[in-house]
Amino acid sequence: MMISHFLLMVVFALIVSVFFSLLWRRERGAQLRLFFQLFLGMVLGGLALAWLMYPFPQGPPAPIP
Amino acid sequence: MAESEIPVAAGPNLGIPTAIAAAVIAWLIPGGGHLYLKRWQRGVAFFVLIAVSVFLGLKLEGHLYRPVPGEPLATLGTIGQAGVGTVYGVLRFVTHYEGDLRGPGFEYGTAFLLTAGLMNLLLVFDAWDIAVGKKD
Repeated sequence: MMISHFLLMVVFALIVSVFFSLLWRRERGAQLRLFFQLFLGMVLGGLALAWLMYPFPQGPPAPIP
Repeated sequence: MAESEIPVAAGPNLGIPTAIAAAVIAWLIPGGGHLYLKRWQRGVAFFVLIAVSVFLGLKLEGHLYRPVPGEPLATLGTIGQAGVGTVYGVLRFVTHYEGDLRGPGFEYGTAFLLTAGLMNLLLVFDAWDIAVGKKD
């Protein structure tokens, strides 16, 4: 099965963002605001973290037990 | 965070027995506590979100934690995933699901399964708060 790391990150961020915006806010406008803050924070934060880690060496692949 | 952004609007206090029932139902069935308290839209939305998370976790062959003597992290993982209630029980004791360490999505799947359990634990507390009138 082909797995896109980026797509999975986006889906994960989507689920968590919708969940917390529904849990923590009651008004539609506030829910949307929080959703975008969380979603963009997670996706862009993840990309920024990946970019910062890019220069680090990858090392050998983990052994499969 | 500004205090005005925190949802402090309280509903009626429905009593401790109702709160206990809502919390137990919320734990057993994701979103069930909210449905029991007549928060229909939220209940359905939470059910769908957790169901999707569990589905992806299983599709990616994520790990289903169980307590292992001498491994406290496994116990923590078990508590987190058991938060999803009936689903965890069915997966562990009925279907004997474990996940596949060699699966390409193993780590991601584990994260989705853990997240589903932790989200449902938050829903248990949320259902309790609604029932005792701390939230609407």
